[in-house]
Amino acid sequence: MTTAPALHMSGISKSFPGIRALTDVGLRVDAGEVHAIVGENGAGKSTLMKILAGVHQPDAGEIELNGHPAKLADPIEARRRGIGMVYQELNLVPDLTVAENILLGSTPSRWGIVDRRALRSRARAVLDELDARINTDDLVGSLTVSQQQIVEIAKVYASSPAIVVLDEPTSSLSEHETQSLFRIIRRMTTAGIAVIYISHRLREVLDIAQRVTVLRDGRLVETRSTDGISAGEMIRLMVGRDLTDVFPKREVPIGDVVLSVTGLSRTGEFSDVELTVRAGEILGLAGLVGAGRTEVARAIFGLDKRDGGSVSLDGTEIAIRTPRDAVRAGIAYVPEDRKRDGIVPQLSIKDNISLAVLDRVSLSGWVKRGAEQSMAQTKATELTVSPPDIRPRVDTLSGGNQQKVVFAKWLAAAPRVLILDEPTRGVDVGAKADIHTIIGELAAQGTAIIMISSELPEVLAVSDRIVVLHEGRVSAELPRGSSEHDVMHAATGEVSA
Amino acid sequence: MTTPVPPPSRTVNRGLFSHIGARLGLPAGIVATLIAGTLVSDRFLTVQNLTNVLINMSIIGIIVVGMTFVFVTRGLADLSVPATVAVGGLLVLGLESSIGTLPAAIVGVLTAAIAGAVNGWLIGYAGLNPVITTLASGTIVLGIAQVFVGGVIVYGDNREAQAFLTGRVFGVVPVIVLIFLAVVIAGHLLLSRTVLGRWSYAVGSNPSATGASAVPVKRVRAFAFLLTGTLAGFSGVLLGITLQTARPGIGTGYEFDAITAVVVGGVSLLGGSGTVLYAFGGLLFVQLLTNIMVLLGVPTEPQGLVKGALIVTAVAIDVALRRRGGRS
Repeated sequence: MTTAPALHMSGISKSFPGIRALTDVGLRVDAGEVHAIVGENGAGKSTLMKILAGVHQPDAGEIELNGHPAKLADPIEARRRGIGMVYQELNLVPDLTVAENILLGSTPSRWGIVDRRALRSRARAVLDELDARINTDDLVGSLTVSQQQIVEIAKVYASSPAIVVLDEPTSSLSEHETQSLFRIIRRMTTAGIAVIYISHRLREVLDIAQRVTVLRDGRLVETRSTDGISAGEMIRLMVGRDLTDVFPKREVPIGDVVLSVTGLSRTGEFSDVELTVRAGEILGLAGLVGAGRTEVARAIFGLDKRDGGSVSLDGTEIAIRTPRDAVRAGIAYVPEDRKRDGIVPQLSIKDNISLAVLDRVSLSGWVKRGAEQSMAQTKATELTVSPPDIRPRVDTLSGGNQQKVVFAKWLAAAPRVLILDEPTRGVDVGAKADIHTIIGELAAQGTAIIMISSELPEVLAVSDRIVVLHEGRVSAELPRGSSEHDVMHAATGEVSA
Repeated sequence: MTTPVPPPSRTVNRGLFSHIGARLGLPAGIVATLIAGTLVSDRFLTVQNLTNVLINMSIIGIIVVGMTFVFVTRGLADLSVPATVAVGGLLVLGLESSIGTLPAAIVGVLTAAIAGAVNGWLIGYAGLNPVITTLASGTIVLGIAQVFVGGVIVYGDNREAQAFLTGRVFGVVPVIVLIFLAVVIAGHLLLSRTVLGRWSYAVGSNPSATGASAVPVKRVRAFAFLLTGTLAGFSGVLLGITLQTARPGIGTGYEFDAITAVVVGGVSLLGGSGTVLYAFGGLLFVQLLTNIMVLLGVPTEPQGLVKGALIVTAVAIDVALRRRGGRS
């Protein structure tokens, strides 16, 4: 066949402030094909798909749909041109019925009154075409996650798209549910739809896709037929980069076990997680997005309730129900989402730094302003917060400096255990180096550190030991000097060769 | 530790106008009102008239202090104020003949404090919506108060207490005004200088990050309602003693007046900013404006119109300043 491909993206480049997300990426997807896109966290998969969805505009490059150049100025335009997106987070209204959700936005009506019969029969027709056995009158909120996912796909399918993008569709599905999802995907391709399938689960990619495109660091590595490729080879293509010494590691003596976690579980998120960290040690917590790294950290810190397991400090079990308990015990947590859990925007830099330890600079409820000022100023200076004046509101600072303020807050608490969740995400290169220096300094002072990072080179360079999570369970514990291969094998659930 | 060159920081330019506008708008408005009042009425700038304004402010002003905490902690508003004011007024007058005025006053304040504590528990700990919760609890408390007095008016019999409160220190300042000013100063210090005050701002600004910083968010939220209930009860006690008569409807409209003052004082309904002194300024501004309208013989209905317009203006300014400040 020599017909034009359903989608042809070429020379796509995109930069965000401080980050080059995509460089000269090309993608060609034919009608009726399932085309997988794989890559590490941050390889550029999401950015590429957001450009296709009209959410971002490329800095350079062209998009052709069925051989015709297309400019996807916004998501509405992209939808009109036949691009359907099914994101990981579902966009359904739980209080409406299945039929109402599927035809939301194109609800059949007469004189402004919903035509219930037409609504039901049209929704039924869509579900039947997909061979999906779901009752059109059920409330979406009462369905299982996998059923909701199918409703979401039906909703996209109802708009008769030419291209459907599925972003990690199986991350919350069981084996059986995955198979029924695949049946629906095959139905769609039979109808001539081009399906783009993004997944970390390499076995599924081999199972469902005809071709696979590998991205790495925002660049196209290769597009291959899935016939002649193994999961191991895909991992090699995804990782295949030399580890440059961008994160110098400071060697410090490692002491006794400070924190140990046993049997930590939280239904639906992670189960039976075991970890220990020693004084001066940096424990890397690796895994793919959704593997449960942040969830484990939040549970240890008391931000989320745990269903089982125990946390011990120096061998003594401690009860942590709230972050207050954790901080009292000497545990601190630099959160993943700085805007939500890190900074208090309307307070000054000083007030943010002293927030967690106000009682240490106060006397029977009264803040000792001199003591607070000098304590906060000392920490801000130590962390080279810029500008050095700590009176302005914290939200006047750049992202990197806000992150330093969050660090300063927890350093002020002098914790014995410090949990860092994506400590350098969205931070410019200068601040990143500063933060790494601080982490090294803390370890040298004997702080036990757990570090979560989606940037594998960072985890490998900084950690003394790495615990890898896969679907909420510890899949491997690797020593220092392990390769990206080893970590990726464990993170994708593929047994290392 | 090597110190790399700090990267340039980005400073959000908030604009000189909005910065000065937020700080000086209210004081300028108060001065303008004083000048306007002097110009339009020769009775305005007299010791007698201004003392009357202060007396009128005192009862409501005590409640304003509590309401400021509710706003700052993003607790929206306490609508049970009319009920807690009535509880204070009814109990002090109803019980003073049997147990004495001071013990009766204490019982009145404590009972209102219990109502405030229940509000605080439901809102802070159980996470209920503040508006609905205080509306409901206010109705319940008022109902109980009505049963207590049998739905009629309670009269007091302690003229001495009345004389004390309305009496003047140095022949000028009434005692009740001094009590009010003391509450304002105490409230201001509590919010600006204590750990609890700082926590209140933090909770109102970003409850999620505040909780993650080991602050007992629920307790802080609950405290704002406990404080408002207590102060409203205290305010009701003072009102009862001053009037020597109380009926269940005695506090009607006080919640509205307190909210008006706090909003006009620039305390954000969205939480995290504002001070007790500015709320006091807002109250002063509204009271002076009302006073001028009364002196000019403006009927009650247009007065309400002016107050309503003031609230809308103040809220619009707050939202505009937030946008300009780059907040979401």
